[in-house]
Amino acid sequence: MIADKFKTLVEKTLALGKKLGADEMEAAISDRHEFSVEILNGEIDKLVDAGGRSLSFEIIIDKKTASASTSDLSWDTIESMVRSAIERASLASSDPFAGLPDTFANPEKIPDLDIYDNSIAGISAETKIDAATQVESICLANPDIGNSHGSSYFTIHGDSLLANSKGFIAQYPVSLVGNGIYLQAGEGTGLVDEGWYDRARHLEDLWSPERIAQKAMKRATRLVGGKKIKTQRVPVIFEPSMTATLLGYLARCISGDAIYQKRSFLAGMLGDAIAVKNFTIQDNPHIKRGPGSRPWDGEGSPTRPIPIVKNGYLMNYLLDTYAARKLDLTTTGHASGVSNFYLEPGERTPEEIIGSMKKGLLLTGMLGQGFNPITGDISRGAFGLWIEDGQIIHPVSEVTISGNLGEMLNNIQYIANDSEMRQSISGPTIQIAEMTISGT
Amino acid sequence: MSKIIKLSNFPESLQELGIEELQRILDAALASGGDFADIYVEYRYAQSVYLEEGLIKETTEHRRLGAGIRVIHGDTSGFAYTNNLDTKSLLDAARTASAIVRMQAGNYSANLSSSFPKTTYYDFKKPGFLAPLKDKMILVRRAEAAAHEYDTRIEKVQVSLADSMQWTLIANSEGIFTGDARPQMRLSASTIAVDGEQRHSGHGSGGGRIGITHFEKKHTPEMIAREAAEEAITLINAIDAKAGMQPIVLSSKHSGVMIHEAVGHPLEGDSHWKKTAVLAPYWQKMVASPLVTIIDDPGMQGYRGSINIDDEGCPARRVTLIDKGRFTGHLHDRISAKKLNAAPNGHGRRDGYHSLPVPRMTNTFLKPGEADEESIIKSVKNGFYAHSYQGGMVQNSGKFTFSINLGWLIEDGRLTSPVKNATLIGHNLDILKQIEMVGQDIDWFLGTCGKEGQSIAVTAGTPTLKITGMTVGGQ
Repeated sequence: MIADKFKTLVEKTLALGKKLGADEMEAAISDRHEFSVEILNGEIDKLVDAGGRSLSFEIIIDKKTASASTSDLSWDTIESMVRSAIERASLASSDPFAGLPDTFANPEKIPDLDIYDNSIAGISAETKIDAATQVESICLANPDIGNSHGSSYFTIHGDSLLANSKGFIAQYPVSLVGNGIYLQAGEGTGLVDEGWYDRARHLEDLWSPERIAQKAMKRATRLVGGKKIKTQRVPVIFEPSMTATLLGYLARCISGDAIYQKRSFLAGMLGDAIAVKNFTIQDNPHIKRGPGSRPWDGEGSPTRPIPIVKNGYLMNYLLDTYAARKLDLTTTGHASGVSNFYLEPGERTPEEIIGSMKKGLLLTGMLGQGFNPITGDISRGAFGLWIEDGQIIHPVSEVTISGNLGEMLNNIQYIANDSEMRQSISGPTIQIAEMTISGT
Repeated sequence: MSKIIKLSNFPESLQELGIEELQRILDAALASGGDFADIYVEYRYAQSVYLEEGLIKETTEHRRLGAGIRVIHGDTSGFAYTNNLDTKSLLDAARTASAIVRMQAGNYSANLSSSFPKTTYYDFKKPGFLAPLKDKMILVRRAEAAAHEYDTRIEKVQVSLADSMQWTLIANSEGIFTGDARPQMRLSASTIAVDGEQRHSGHGSGGGRIGITHFEKKHTPEMIAREAAEEAITLINAIDAKAGMQPIVLSSKHSGVMIHEAVGHPLEGDSHWKKTAVLAPYWQKMVASPLVTIIDDPGMQGYRGSINIDDEGCPARRVTLIDKGRFTGHLHDRISAKKLNAAPNGHGRRDGYHSLPVPRMTNTFLKPGEADEESIIKSVKNGFYAHSYQGGMVQNSGKFTFSINLGWLIEDGRLTSPVKNATLIGHNLDILKQIEMVGQDIDWFLGTCGKEGQSIAVTAGTPTLKITGMTVGGQ
């Protein structure tokens, strides 16, 4: 719970803004605690145990906006920042679309999201140190693992309170716990850096140190001995974490501000077919214990499950109040980005998909930037496993992969059944009909 | 242009933390033992103006106040931070940071002596936080107008002007009491050009540890906007890259990204004592062509990556990382210097009071050579010319990529067609040896570098370079 003194501070900040002439105002405070420990070669390398808080607010006068944030919560500072914001707002341009939402979530009537585990604050430092140490010691006992970049265990718990001049005031707590490791295998120019991190809202949902270590080791060792391949066009299988990267690109291209600024190849495509028929994406903020679940968004707008793509048709953009007004639509409760954004699984197992591939790449990792939302062009460094006649032949490294997101969505051949919602964006293994792999 | 950094110019909440108070905190941090403790106090003040679709859509003001306290015991660092600078909060943080120490009692007593930097690498004339908002809005409007003026096909323009002032106080158990006052300012323009079905974006930016006067002559809003507009317009006629291994010319414009990724990160000291760096076994050996000398220099007047002292209070020094092809230097923070038996060289940087220092770059560059730009391009029969970048990335294994916004096809020694959507990938042990020609020109990429979740301001510079062969990703 946000301490009463902070709640009072938010109310006092809103009252001052109103007194000084703000037409509308929003203020928020967050109070969080973080603990993290990094283990390197069996010793504690770093241990962080601290708490911090910050206040942010936005003032609107005559449809002109000014915003601010501070971690200096002395009233003198806040008062001078509110005064300066009032003055700054007067210098901005009047924008008919600016302003608070028209309707807000009812904090009394929200589904039980179960995103706060009150046992997380009480996990002892020893338990956390032991869990991280265990992951590393399992990995270092494997002769195929050359080195550890360190294992780490973290917990975060805290509250955020949002209030505005239209009478909305509400708060909710969240917790997060994570454990993982980054490893090195191979040697010389064939070194491989890979690892795995797991995270969960509830301690009991976190993978065991054994499971995390096994996953990290597999990811590192399977890439040792990677070869460059000839430049060619082949089908590409995306592992779930790679599918998630692709879905993240899609989310960027349907975010409201990219749409109204026409900084997206999907601007103006609402209702159109943008992908193959069996491609269906939901954004569901109400999944119990979901990594991206939330009762309301960053503006206090209600959240609800939203169909994003249904049978290949683009059903909704991700909108906050401003973007919605610009586009003459209604907010979808996405003032803080996606919630739990996931691609519906298909029927096949990933093994069946790999087994039916004649020649192609199983993509396991990408390196670098290389996505252009305006054109949909993707070009990135790539790692993976080369497949011939349904068998993994050898690892592939130091190649690049290129394609166009718009074309790729229409060239999805298979969607597997292996989804797991460990991150706010998730999806199963998929196969794209053809992409360019550039090597020698 | 030098000015002494004085505590009396700091915000009041920092001035109130006198030597005696800081000594008390350090005493508490080492009360149960430990080898070393430091306290890092930060006040950061940042403002921005943002223009989109012809409107000054928003202005922002951010303040950050806090203190981080670290205790080092053996190989372990304990760390805690707080937003409150009152004695009780600081003592609590000191005790939390010291929880890593399992000894009974220490007998440490701090004795601080003041050693603030005597000169500064920053331009303090009219720093951003003292400039009137109206003047900043004029700069933003000028950039907007210049972008539209460049070509009628420029449909959308975004401009932002962001400035910050960061004051730090650093005290440690070895008696150091110092601090820094760092200005930072950046004007960025982003455009979209539309021609029929073609839509492309372009970017330009300028700035550094400078005041608002920098934009009067040196790098005007018009120059920055035209760069953004030119890039977007050029991309209208761009073709896809030809995929595969080919000779590469890196332009001086932004190719410092390559130096930053392929050499800078791999020579940060932490990956060397952890022995995860692929270059670790090559100390004092040839790792690059003899034409290659690479330096990290925190002392470049007004540059975005410059620092007087690092975030551990150590004076920042110029380091020759590669000398005529030989690996001669690391970038060190306190811990990596100690682990590798070297002198600290002032490269322990932090994102803020809430972060632990790690070895980082400042202004990293490849020293210009003899070749002229034209002859470098002429020497390539068919290949790829990299002009501007989205950014780059490197792994400890030495594999690195950089993503090209705009490149050119080289045919018969001439730049023929603009190229979009390309990524270059290579391994630093291979590519550094393949630098065949080094130009006389040098230009700088203004970057924000991310490592372990911490973002810091850097620059990277290079002359025009020719690389024998590198994999280009395309269609």
